[in-house]
This record gives sequence, structure tokens and C-alpha cells, in this order.
Amino acid sequence: MSRKVRVSIALLAAIMLLGLFSGCSSAVVSMASTATESSSAETNSTVDNTTKKEVTWLASRPVDGAIDLTVREIAKKYTEEVDPNFSLKIETTTDRTSYLQKLRTLIAGGNMPDIIDIDADPYCQELVNQGLLVDVKKYLKDEGLYDQFKPVALAYQEFTDGTMYTLPLEYHVEMTWYNKEIFSKYNLTAPKTMNEFMSTCKTLKDNGIIPISVDGVDKWPVMRYLAMLPFRATGNEYIINVRDGKASLKEQTGMDGINFLADVGQYFNEGFASTDYVTALNLFLDGKSAMYYMGDWEQGSMLDHYQSGKVDYFYLPMTNNAKTAANEFCMNSGIGMAFNTKTFDANTRGFINYLIKNYGVPYAKRNQMSPMKIELPKDIQFSDLYLRIENDMANSGTNFLKPWDTYLDPDSLSVMNDNMILVAMGQMKPEDFADLMDTTIANNVAK
Amino acid sequence: MGILKSKKYYLTFLLPGLCFYLFSVFYPILESLRLSMYQWNGIKDWKFIGIQNYEVLYRDRVFWIAVINNLKYLAIVVGMQVFIGLLVAIMLTGIGKSRNLIKTLYYIPSIITTIAISQLFRSIYSIEPMGLLNILAVKLSQGQLVKPWLSDIHTVLPAVSIPEGWRFIGLYMVIFYSALIALSNDVIEAGRIDGANQLQLLLYIKIPMIIPVIRMSLIMCLTGALRGFDIPFLLTNGGPGYFSELTTTYMYKKAFSSLQFGYGSSIAVFIVLESFIVVWLINLLYRNNQVEE
Repeated sequence: MSRKVRVSIALLAAIMLLGLFSGCSSAVVSMASTATESSSAETNSTVDNTTKKEVTWLASRPVDGAIDLTVREIAKKYTEEVDPNFSLKIETTTDRTSYLQKLRTLIAGGNMPDIIDIDADPYCQELVNQGLLVDVKKYLKDEGLYDQFKPVALAYQEFTDGTMYTLPLEYHVEMTWYNKEIFSKYNLTAPKTMNEFMSTCKTLKDNGIIPISVDGVDKWPVMRYLAMLPFRATGNEYIINVRDGKASLKEQTGMDGINFLADVGQYFNEGFASTDYVTALNLFLDGKSAMYYMGDWEQGSMLDHYQSGKVDYFYLPMTNNAKTAANEFCMNSGIGMAFNTKTFDANTRGFINYLIKNYGVPYAKRNQMSPMKIELPKDIQFSDLYLRIENDMANSGTNFLKPWDTYLDPDSLSVMNDNMILVAMGQMKPEDFADLMDTTIANNVAK
Repeated sequence: MGILKSKKYYLTFLLPGLCFYLFSVFYPILESLRLSMYQWNGIKDWKFIGIQNYEVLYRDRVFWIAVINNLKYLAIVVGMQVFIGLLVAIMLTGIGKSRNLIKTLYYIPSIITTIAISQLFRSIYSIEPMGLLNILAVKLSQGQLVKPWLSDIHTVLPAVSIPEGWRFIGLYMVIFYSALIALSNDVIEAGRIDGANQLQLLLYIKIPMIIPVIRMSLIMCLTGALRGFDIPFLLTNGGPGYFSELTTTYMYKKAFSSLQFGYGSSIAVFIVLESFIVVWLINLLYRNNQVEE
């Protein structure tokens, strides 16, 4: 064989092998550089303004949503005014299920980002137990920033033992928006009790109106209905006991909740299991459904209808012998921001301090409820709707419905998500659902 | 030209591809087998539990529902891809003009991304706003057949199977068409002379002559259908409940949602074994047919 042919063959083989190994080598380089950054971060105790510092936030917030825009705005100002070497890289996955799978895969592979979004759920507790997350309560108190937050916003981020490892960036209340025109057509008023609520649904359905539009694809809107009666009966005490294996779903409180879901499910829009967020919202806005349970973050979509008198809202109706008051319902501060202990150095801390001090006002200017205590800026006109909701939240009680997906372990949550849809569709008996969940939770508590 | 005669050079050029296959397919299968003997949630240390995951798997009602669903999914997907593919290929051999245009049109779905296909069929199946299928149902059945195809427990499994089946009809059509046009004209001419009509030529000469190609296509299609995941995952994620759950979507849920990586790995091992058994059965059937001849 000629020399030319031998050289060509060697070159071709080398090109093929290069393609095979290039993916691996870039991963090795990035891991090495992360290790270098981490070790240098540990030795630095003061802000280092000389080396380039990129902090990655793996986010689960809507791109160009209020939080995304506010944080980007503040990060830009921080780079311009405080630390020119600092930059914030935001990697967003808005679909929460996909985000969680990506986050868990990264963590399982030892590649936890600098900043993540996570609820104070059992998985977060596992990360805390492994020493992976910064104690945010301690951090805020050390920096004198703790009292800048609204108490409920902080309380929502706490574990049941009072510790807190996540930072709130939003503050929400959930309500049932209703179509006033449809209601007045059938002589209905905003229900104050659960019995009135069910009676309202029946009247609407009997008259060919979709009583409630529900986003079944995202699961949590369906889970809220499951949680309603137990919250009225016990606050969050019942679900905490269920989580710990100390209470059964076959008890009265549990069965009341499951039976309520089975009953109210018949009033959901047809095909709700495959109805996504936008479709459910549009069903309501187009006047095809009479009620829609959603949070204050949709006040922008509702504003025109609200101002023209077509839409209003009511909070969680009451039950007999309720332990929680009428001014106590689902309030939350959303998914929290958590920090990787390995990379939470003075540089990152400096930025987060700046973020907290400067976040509330620009966030509120985007018609959002600030989790920090602020004076509403005078340079923009807040709508009547915003001011009314803000007043409601300021006058709420100390109890708030904490979503069940923040209490349950990942496997129990996955099983509940799949099967509660069947209960709402009338395809699974409430007792069978209770049995299944009791068994699943017991197995997972034992592990 | 000496290169083409020497086995040494064939091996040299096959080696990188083989290495990549071993690294990206074979090694992960071995790792899944190892991980299936452990309990791991992605954070804590691995805990060795032997065959406990397989014992749980045996008793897991949802897993067996997923296995049965997968077999139904397989029947629809194979039925569409192989049989409709073969039918279209046969019809293509019978037309002269526009053959290339029809081939291209049939092939296009196999190059469209999965996300686009899922969105397409989500819109087609939609009840609010009404999608194509429900619009047709209104016209053809005065609204009797209008339903939420992806939420109805009786229709959801076929609904998630059909997009996958439709997607690769073109691919198998191209394979079978190439096989049909490569057949020796002498044999077909001999059959014609003996008095065979078109249907007899097709059933007794052409199709038997392309049996090896059909066998390979069945193997590809069956093993692909046993590993089918993306479209059902995107459309319904196994829901409502477990009515469209496949072994692959269940494996993914258990590993990445429930954080039971060991248990998810045991399901992965089951899928690999299932694929081996299917290939073995097809080869057995082929060998038996050959012996009978």
C-alpha cells in the first residue's frame, strides 16, 4: 500500500475518533473548571472583583415573565454598578415536570447548578440532609434581610420544623374567578359555602354551561380540589400527618376530600385531563366556562373583563365546623430559589443581597404582589383589581393552604397525580384511591 | 483496490462505529442491570438490595398494565408501519407517473421532529377548540362520535399509537419498494407464462421472495415499538391514570419523577429482555418456515 493511502486512512480514522471523543472531553474540561472555581471560592472570603464570575441559575419561571424580567434587570444593574465581572446566566425550563426531571438528573450526576428553583418538599429535604443547600433563614438573618419579607411569604418556604432553605421571589393568592354575566343569567351569586358552590355547579351544568374549566395537564389545579375540604377541616395538619404516615386517607377528613373531588369532577370541562393551562384559561375568558380556579398572576388576563363588570372572584368557600377562617385560603410564595453550598461564595452572596434589596419595587411595577415589604411605587397607576387583591392578602389569616405537592414524597406525588385524575373522571372509586395512596405512602415512609 | 479485498481494512473502518455502539448502548445496558440490584434516589448512596426490585416488579399491577398496553401499542404501530408500508410499496410498483412525488410525500413524516408531530396530533384530537377529527365526527355522525380522544379511557391508547404508526409508514414503504423493484424479472416472467395473474404473482412469487426483507423490517419495527416513548410521553404522559402507560413511560416516571432509579433500571432490563425474546421468536418462525419449504 502507498504511503499516501496509509496517511489518508490514518487521517480518516483520527477524524472519526475525534468526533467520538469530543463530547466527552468538553464535559471533562467543564467539570475540571467547575472544580477549580469551587475550590477557589472556598478560599475567598471577600468579594473578588478581578476575576470573571458567571453564576448559573437553573430556573423554572416563565421566560419574559415578571420574575425573569425583574431578575435580569437587577443582574444587569449589578454588573454595571457594582461588579463588572459578575454575570448571571439563566437556563429556563418552564414546564415544571420537565424542569424537575432535568434538575434531579443534574444533581444525580453531581452537577448541581449554582442557583436552582425548588419547593420545600421531601426532595429538597434530602438535598438539605446531604448539605447541598444554603440555610437561607440563617443567611437572611445574618444579613439583616429577614424582616424585609412578608411573614406568609417566608412561612410558605419553611419546612414543618421551621427551617428554611429557599428564598421567595413571588407572592400569590388563589381564587375562583367567575363569569358574572352567566351567574346573573341563572340568578346565582358568589358561593360562600361549599354546599352553595356545589349547588351553583349543578345549576350551571343543568343549563348546559361548563361550570369549571380545569388544566388537567399540569395536575396541580386538580390536586387543589382534593386539598380543599381537608384544609377547611384541619388546616395543613391533616396532610402533614398523611405525609408522615400517621393519618390514613380513609379517615373522614381524607374521604371527604376525595369524595368532593369525585363530585366536583363531573363539573369540570369535558376532556379536562388533556386540557392545558392556556386552553382552560381561554375557555373562561371566551365565556364558555363559568368558573376558573387560578391565582392572582392571571389578573392581567382578567383585568379588562373585571373592569367591565363581567368577571369577579371569590375565595375558598366555607364548610360547617371549619377550623380555618373565611379569610384563610391558598396563599403561597411559589417555588423558591435555593443556593448550592459549594458555590455560594462572597460574590454570589453580594449579588443576592443586592437582588433582595432592589427586587420588590420593579417586581410590583409589573403588576405582581411583592414578597418583600415595600411601599407601592407612586409613578405607576395600579389597577383597582391589584389594590383589592393586595388588600385581601394583607388581611388574610395566619393559616394558608399549602399545596399537597410540596408535602408528598416524589413517588407518592407521582401516584396521586396519575390516579386523582381518574377519581375526578369517575373512573376510580374514592375508597380504592384512598387504599392505593395509603399503601404507596406507607411504603415510601418505610424507605 | 487492495483495500476492498482485505478484511483488516473493513475492521478498521467498522471499529469506531462499534466502539460508539458499545459505549452508548451496550455499556448503559450493563449499568442498568447493575443499578437494578440497588436502591438509589439520586442523592443518597446506592444500597444493594439484590433482586428485590424484580420481586416488586412481578407484583406491580401498574407495570403489567403497561406491558399489556405496550402489546396493544405494538400491534397498532406494526400494523400500520409494516402492513400499510408494504401495501403502499406494492401500489407504487403499479404506477408510472408521480411515483417519486408520492414516495416523497409518504416519507416526509419520518423526518419531522417528534415535538411537531405531537403538537399536530394534539390539535387534531382536540375537543376545545374542536380539532380536525372532531370536526369530521360532527359532519359524519351528527356529533355522536365527538369526544376528547386523549382523555377518553377507551380511545387514548389507540390515539397515542396512531401518530407513531403513521410517522414511519414512509420509511418501510421505501424499504419494501426497493426490495420489490430489485426482484429478478426472469422469475416473474416465468410465473406469468405459467398463467399466474397479478394477485397470484404478488402472493405466491413477489412477497415470498422478499420475506428476508419483511423479517428484518418486522424486527426493526417490533423492537422500536417495544421501546416506543416520545409521542405517548408528549401527548399524555401515560394518562389519564394508566390508560396510555407504556413500559417506557412507566420506567421514565419511576426513575425521574419518583426518583427510584434502581426500580426504573429493572424495568429497563425487562424491556431489553422483551426485545431479545421478540427477535428470537421471529428468527424461530423464519427458520421453521424455511424447514417446511
